[in-house]
Amino acid sequence: MFDLTLDPAACDVLRLAQPRPRWFVPGLLAGVTSAVMAVALLACSAWLITRAAEMPSLAYLGMAIVGVRAFAIFRSVFRYLERLTSHDAAFRQLAELRLGIFRRIVPVAPAGLAQTGRGDLLTRLVRDVDDLQDLPLRVVQPLLVAGITAVLSVIGIWLIVPAAGLTLLVCLLLAGVLGTVFSGSVAARADRELAPLRGTLADEVLEIVENLDVLTAFDALRPRLAQLARTDERLRRAALRRSVGVGVQSAVVALFAGAATLGTLYFGIPALDGGGGPLSPDLLGPTLIVAVLVPMAVFEVFGMILLAASAWRQVRVSARRVAEVVPASRPAEIPVDVPNPQLLLATPVVLELTGLSASWPGQTEPGVAGVTLRLAPGDRVHLAGPSGAGKTTLTQALVRFLDYTGSYRLNGVEARLLAQTEVRRVVGLCEQRPWLFDDSIRQNLLFARDTATDAELLAVLARVGLAEWVGERGGLDARVGERGALVSGGQAQRIALARALLADFPVLVVDEPTANVDSAQADALVRDILSAATDAHRAVLLISHTPVPDELVTARVTLSTRAQSM
Amino acid sequence: MRSPYTEAVRPLDPRLLRYASAARRFLAIGALLGLAQTVVVITFAWLLTRAIMLTVAGERLSTIVPTLAALAGVVVLRSVLIWLLEVAANRGAAQVKSQLRARVLAKLAERGPDWVDSQQSARLATVVTTGLDALDNYFARYLPQLLLTAIATPILIAVMLWQDLPSGLTVIIVIPLIPVFMILIGRVTQSVQQEQWQALQRLSTGFLDVVGGLGTLKIYGRECRQFDRIRSITEQYRTRTMKVLRVSFLSGFVLELAASLSVALIAVSIGLRLIDGALLLGVGLFVLLLAPEAFLPVRQVGAQFHAAADGLAAAEELFAILDDDIDTTDAPAPVDPAAAAVAPGGLGAGSLRLVGVSIRRGDTVVIDRLDAEFAAGEISVLRGVSGVGKSTLVAALLGFVPLTGEVTLGDVAVTAGPSRPWLAWAGQRPGLFRGTVAENVALGTVSAGQGTRTVNLVAQALDWAGAAQLSPTTVLGVNGDGLSGGQAQRVAAARAVYRALATECQVVILDEPSSALDADAEAGLLAGLRRLADMGRVVIVVSHRPAVLAAADHVIELEKLIHV
Repeated sequence: MFDLTLDPAACDVLRLAQPRPRWFVPGLLAGVTSAVMAVALLACSAWLITRAAEMPSLAYLGMAIVGVRAFAIFRSVFRYLERLTSHDAAFRQLAELRLGIFRRIVPVAPAGLAQTGRGDLLTRLVRDVDDLQDLPLRVVQPLLVAGITAVLSVIGIWLIVPAAGLTLLVCLLLAGVLGTVFSGSVAARADRELAPLRGTLADEVLEIVENLDVLTAFDALRPRLAQLARTDERLRRAALRRSVGVGVQSAVVALFAGAATLGTLYFGIPALDGGGGPLSPDLLGPTLIVAVLVPMAVFEVFGMILLAASAWRQVRVSARRVAEVVPASRPAEIPVDVPNPQLLLATPVVLELTGLSASWPGQTEPGVAGVTLRLAPGDRVHLAGPSGAGKTTLTQALVRFLDYTGSYRLNGVEARLLAQTEVRRVVGLCEQRPWLFDDSIRQNLLFARDTATDAELLAVLARVGLAEWVGERGGLDARVGERGALVSGGQAQRIALARALLADFPVLVVDEPTANVDSAQADALVRDILSAATDAHRAVLLISHTPVPDELVTARVTLSTRAQSM
Repeated sequence: MRSPYTEAVRPLDPRLLRYASAARRFLAIGALLGLAQTVVVITFAWLLTRAIMLTVAGERLSTIVPTLAALAGVVVLRSVLIWLLEVAANRGAAQVKSQLRARVLAKLAERGPDWVDSQQSARLATVVTTGLDALDNYFARYLPQLLLTAIATPILIAVMLWQDLPSGLTVIIVIPLIPVFMILIGRVTQSVQQEQWQALQRLSTGFLDVVGGLGTLKIYGRECRQFDRIRSITEQYRTRTMKVLRVSFLSGFVLELAASLSVALIAVSIGLRLIDGALLLGVGLFVLLLAPEAFLPVRQVGAQFHAAADGLAAAEELFAILDDDIDTTDAPAPVDPAAAAVAPGGLGAGSLRLVGVSIRRGDTVVIDRLDAEFAAGEISVLRGVSGVGKSTLVAALLGFVPLTGEVTLGDVAVTAGPSRPWLAWAGQRPGLFRGTVAENVALGTVSAGQGTRTVNLVAQALDWAGAAQLSPTTVLGVNGDGLSGGQAQRVAAARAVYRALATECQVVILDEPSSALDADAEAGLLAGLRRLADMGRVVIVVSHRPAVLAAADHVIELEKLIHV
């Protein structure tokens, strides 16, 4: 069903997806022309042969013969043009759509995006954004093309046989309404009944496949497979029950297409005696036959509307999800710059926290609370604490992705009085999962300092212990793969550190560099990071659960447990 | 966008029929329904022609009404048949998916964990769930049209030939041209796509790259520069995609042109022969009504080409798994039930001895003639640089990877088999499941959960794994979601401890059990392991953590034991 109830946020998202008229209208015109020609082809063919049966001179049929051939060719040509221009328009709009979404994400990212911690969520967001292209292509365009063609055909038939025109109108309306209502309720039931079962099944399959070793070792595979078979059985039964409703839509359309043909015939025959509509006051056989056959072609075009209805359901889901992930208003936990932010002129930088607390959006408990800490140039502080103590929350507050309460001063200036960009100019962060861009090693380093020469890049790679590795990989042009797929966890950390060293942050925060690293290599990595980052002008805050040798740090801080953890 | 390197889509993969009996049944039912539909289509055209002829002849409405009534009956019948065919297709899809899923999972169980590990498990899981759903459209939209092409089109052509030879011949000449042109255009599309493929792949993920890395970009103050980058990526994506589309849309163009031009040619030819009186209007009209119907299934097959390709691609991945016969050289040794079931008496005591154990991975020898003894009542720590084969050795003891040589437990030989009652193990990944902590800990025991003994043992196992504070009734999400890394690791260790306590099994192997634990938790776990050892168990820990090494009675350096 064309359920148009949408929250304003999703509407905003959808508005971004619809191409501007200048791009959209050419495709629409081509589409309508093609569809009208398809109807005209049948009308003209029918008129041609019934008129020919009356054996007039060939001259009377010349126009019809030309018309039939022209409609046949140009119908396909315009359809081709329609597809090209409408896709082109959708792709042009994709740039606007992506930029519009990106503009909304930038101020709140990364901490303000709902559950950004999960990579698959971002992947889905991007896929959803791209799927919104279906709005112009599979919803708006077919609806308009089918609608306009249907209206034009109804008017055309009405001009010949008014009653037949009305019959066609009624049949189209009924088919459209009943067809979409049926398919809508069928789809809604499917969502209600099948989606949860599908989810359960997917979870069970994933657990079995990923933990096949555990299940085998504990002799638990057979019962698990049996349980999966039962879930599968339930899903299959639900799908079988549902299958009865699925074909109803096509059946309804076929029924009304036939009804329209019959109706025209039934109402048209008396009109042969009584006279036709405005265009053919003396209704003749050939004209009536056109009126009888045209509904068949109209209904073929009209089938697009039903496909558009199911495309609309999917587009709506995508729009809602995008609107959910990208909040329309900024959560209170995400900082906003003060109107006239101060500048930090002096380096080196001293960072002081007094009773700092910070929370994630949507969480009632603060993620971290009561942190007091001082970092001066040359300091290397190891911050430890059980999981759940809020170590990562603290890093997000330090780079101002999250707002804070308490005091956070840089050279004595309260951080919330500074522009966020200014804070991030002096406080750098190596994230727990550093993001590598699908590009060369060179580009992954250069964006930290785009004036760096190759020699400087190689030097910094040597500092983080990657000189040999880069050489093996074939130098700076080696690619890191999508999301750093060609790079191990430890190497990614080292590249991220190299990047941070290039940017030369006066204060550098390194968040759990060993979280995704083989434990055998963790010690070496921590050691290398601390020695590479050591500099008389730099303060380093290392967060790690891997033990750190005393000679490498100047102080240790332990964050007390806040969240319930063992 | 689909990779152009996949082979050209076959209309129907015979393996689908071989692996899923429901597919065969659907084809049979679909063929019958398709045949009935064809008869109905022809009857409809014939009755409509008759009604029109009567009208043109000036008959009164009352004489035409019986024909109209018959026509109405045919319309209803046609709707019912359309509905039935869709129902059959949807049922077929649901049944085929179940059958294929069951077969693949049985295959995975048969191949074992080591093979599954080599396959990207997340992708495997997707293939048997959402991947299989691509078959829905294949069955619902494509196969019925394919059936109709095979059944309806020839019958309709035959009727046309019988009624009016020239019209029938026109269709016969045009229809074979369609696949020819489709294949030609498909080839050109493929080569255009191949030119663009690499660039398109990168461009299509470009936006994700920027959005995903936005945190990093903000840290470096580079977020504002991304607007231009997104615009240029998307613009390049558009121009390159349009280059491909310009060619690939040609196939749709050819389909439509062939169908409508044939109708036009037939109409004109009928018209000209009607003028000459060489043909009757009734015949001409009848044939004209049949002509579009003859092309309809072919056009639908073309339009649903993508549904077919997606469905077949999903099926293809499954068939690749199902077709992959076990390579005997690399698979676990065939099961010898007698040897596998280690004499019950042999489980009682004794140390685990490895004599001349070698493990090969493909052509590489990972472990070469290893001799080692893990004594009962002791904690043995196995260590070595990463990649030396510690985990492979553990996998071999579990029977997931074949080994040669001799493994004995208290002088009784242990052989790989379907079960390993002498061994309790916790791997590097916790491998937890949805359910309570207690259910996870008591995994694999028949009556997990209720009995007092079970409850006590679970509490004891959690305590010995250093996780006494964790409530056994805590409910976990899928894959143990809801626990921190350290908690999950301890639950996995508790599961091994539980098995050792509950089933009297002699050997406990823990692979890196404390990599995510803080010092206190690690100490708790080590104390528990000590109590296990004191009960006379063989305790083997793979680790290099100082605290674990300090607690060891015996350290085995794996690299030194390898004969190079």
